[in-house]
Amino acid sequence: MADDLRGTGVGAGSTATAPVRATGPATAPGRRARRRRARDRSSAGVALLWLGPALLLIAGVVIYPAIELVRASLSTYSITGLRLGDAGSKNFSHVLAHPALGTVLVNTLVWVVVVVALTVLVSLAVAQFLSKDFFGRKVVRYAIIVPWAASLVITAKTFTMIYNYYYGTLNLVLTKLRLISTPIDFLGNDSWTMPSMILVGVFVSVPFTAYVFVAGLNNIPTDVYEAARIDGATPWQTYWRVTLPLLRPALLVASVLNIIYVFNSFPIIWTLNDRNPGFTHDTTITFMYKLAFKSAEKDVGMAAAAGIFNVLLILVVVVIYLRTVRWQEEES
Amino acid sequence: MTRRMTVLVAGAAVATLGLTACSGGSGSGTAAGGDTGGSAKKVTSIKLVAAEYSKDHTAAFWKQFAEKYKAKTGNTLDVQIVSWDAIDQQSSTMIQNNNAPDILNLNAYASYAKDNLLYSADDGLSPAVKSDLLDAFVKSGTYQGKMYGMPDLSSARALFYNKAMFAKAGIAGPPKTWDEFEADAKKLQGLGNGSIGYAMPLGPEEAQGEFSIWTFNNGGDWKSGDTWTINSPKNVETLSFLKKLAVQDKVTQNNPGRTNRADAFNLFKSGNVGMVVGFSPLAADLDKDKKVSYGVAPMPVQGGGQPQTFGVTDYLMAFKKPGNQEAVKAFYDLYYQKDQVNRFIKSEGFLPVTKTGLQTFASDPKLKVYLETLPNIHLTPTDDPTWDKVKLAVQQNIGAGINGDPKATLDSLQKSAENAG
Repeated sequence: MADDLRGTGVGAGSTATAPVRATGPATAPGRRARRRRARDRSSAGVALLWLGPALLLIAGVVIYPAIELVRASLSTYSITGLRLGDAGSKNFSHVLAHPALGTVLVNTLVWVVVVVALTVLVSLAVAQFLSKDFFGRKVVRYAIIVPWAASLVITAKTFTMIYNYYYGTLNLVLTKLRLISTPIDFLGNDSWTMPSMILVGVFVSVPFTAYVFVAGLNNIPTDVYEAARIDGATPWQTYWRVTLPLLRPALLVASVLNIIYVFNSFPIIWTLNDRNPGFTHDTTITFMYKLAFKSAEKDVGMAAAAGIFNVLLILVVVVIYLRTVRWQEEES
Repeated sequence: MTRRMTVLVAGAAVATLGLTACSGGSGSGTAAGGDTGGSAKKVTSIKLVAAEYSKDHTAAFWKQFAEKYKAKTGNTLDVQIVSWDAIDQQSSTMIQNNNAPDILNLNAYASYAKDNLLYSADDGLSPAVKSDLLDAFVKSGTYQGKMYGMPDLSSARALFYNKAMFAKAGIAGPPKTWDEFEADAKKLQGLGNGSIGYAMPLGPEEAQGEFSIWTFNNGGDWKSGDTWTINSPKNVETLSFLKKLAVQDKVTQNNPGRTNRADAFNLFKSGNVGMVVGFSPLAADLDKDKKVSYGVAPMPVQGGGQPQTFGVTDYLMAFKKPGNQEAVKAFYDLYYQKDQVNRFIKSEGFLPVTKTGLQTFASDPKLKVYLETLPNIHLTPTDDPTWDKVKLAVQQNIGAGINGDPKATLDSLQKSAENAG
């Protein structure tokens, strides 16, 4: 299933670089076309030689799993995983008719929107802080990388201990500070489960996002700030009118990558939500996994159909997002 | 090299890759294809996929086993140990890709038997070995008149109680009836300072086990003959009693419908819990920690019957693959030798599955409470393939009966069992 995520990533990368390459031959002069065509022919062979391993890799990790996914979604499977025959569109209609689907979609929407929005806000602040020159900046920068470098499962497990009802540090601290009198069941109480998971989601997404913003901030030339200062802009005006607009490309990249990344996030929800029965706090990704292996359905075909819906959903979301953003750009 | 040729070569390469990949997956239908055992060429290497019972012992046992197997038969045994978390997924993926192991070790077998993937005991087990197995396990391993699931080990659940807390609360001995249990749990909870009367794990990890042991001791069961009885009055009474303990009496840990077994055990190990339903691996942990002085007792009963022991057994099953019949038979012959099967069970801290094993373990006083009940052990209906789905439904949903309505929860489980069959 994780291949889907990688698939979207690789695919997105290659389409992004394609236009850049295409501009090369188009600007070349059209004279002596014959000789150029001959040269092209041999260079195409060489190019293919160089591209071969990458193409094979893409075929292996993107195309083959995609074919298998479609094939599985059209098949009927026994609970053991044995393929029993063709299913037609049965798996898809079963997913759409699943009683928990509404809950799962709402959870996914809340999870993606809130995590990405909070991540971007927090990361903007963190990046602003990190781009300043201060004593010990290097240490702070490394410290912020740590949650990024740690495995998601380990981070999630650590947070289950922090959130624990009986011996969790968070409850201990809150009780000692007299903010609460009885512990909070962060992972078992329905009103706390999603916020608790969102906090972890933001925690693991901030490092990457902040570093994208730091790079963005470093790219803003200092003379525009000088100009703003000479014009008498307040710090807030400078940030709002100069920094943010110039940070726009970084913001765009960070939010698209985060939407995909957060949408596909499995370990956090899987680990923090392991004690809760049913699908009350699942997103479409954990829903898909539970359909395949943990729920009473235990149906690989149905899970594959859910997987196809997932890929389509994230593609649509990203396209809509990019359209909206570009449209705003043209307006302004 | 011309461009066209290069393209062709590249295209062919990609196509081949695709074809190879597809053929890996698409042939699964043939895995079910009848007796290929005798006629095909004999294999010299078989693969075992085994569940990891413990980090320390499982791999070590199978390693020495593979060496003995090689020495005895000349065949290679390729061992793959998989954690319990991942084994359902891995086994399903292997079957999907027509890449079943020769031997699989899992907690369920009936669905595989139903799909006609397995050798029955008639084809894979020597008569001497079969007659040594305890009758209860032969019965639970039998699907439609033939035995497919060979027990690798067993465990029995019993009531663990904290002796120090019992003394402090002035309770003489472990409770024998549900009324006594409730009264004792209240006293234990009343000790204060974070004391918990009873740790009740009805979260997804092992909810069917917790509910089984309670309802078996109330005269309830999952099935009666061929009929599902999940919402029987006895079962509703059981779940209502558990809900009462949690919600009205408040003598359990916080949120029992959402507590996994491992967390309940950890609470008991911390010494703040009066009672928990445990099994021998918990005893081994407690003995190692030496922190909690505990006793083990039969479960309290409702309605005056004899205490029922709820047991669990896991299975070894052999997949029908061309030419592997003799190799898997040799595998079973070696596994069920006294010094192998009992060594495995002893190192993992579980209970025997054979009559000779009962004798071997009889000398261990700590196992006395379990061994006496083992021949009459009460299991879940693992011989019914529908149970493999019902179990998952129970794990995912029964906890909801603690916060919600017990009757409605069991009604919906009953319905899903009837529809799944």
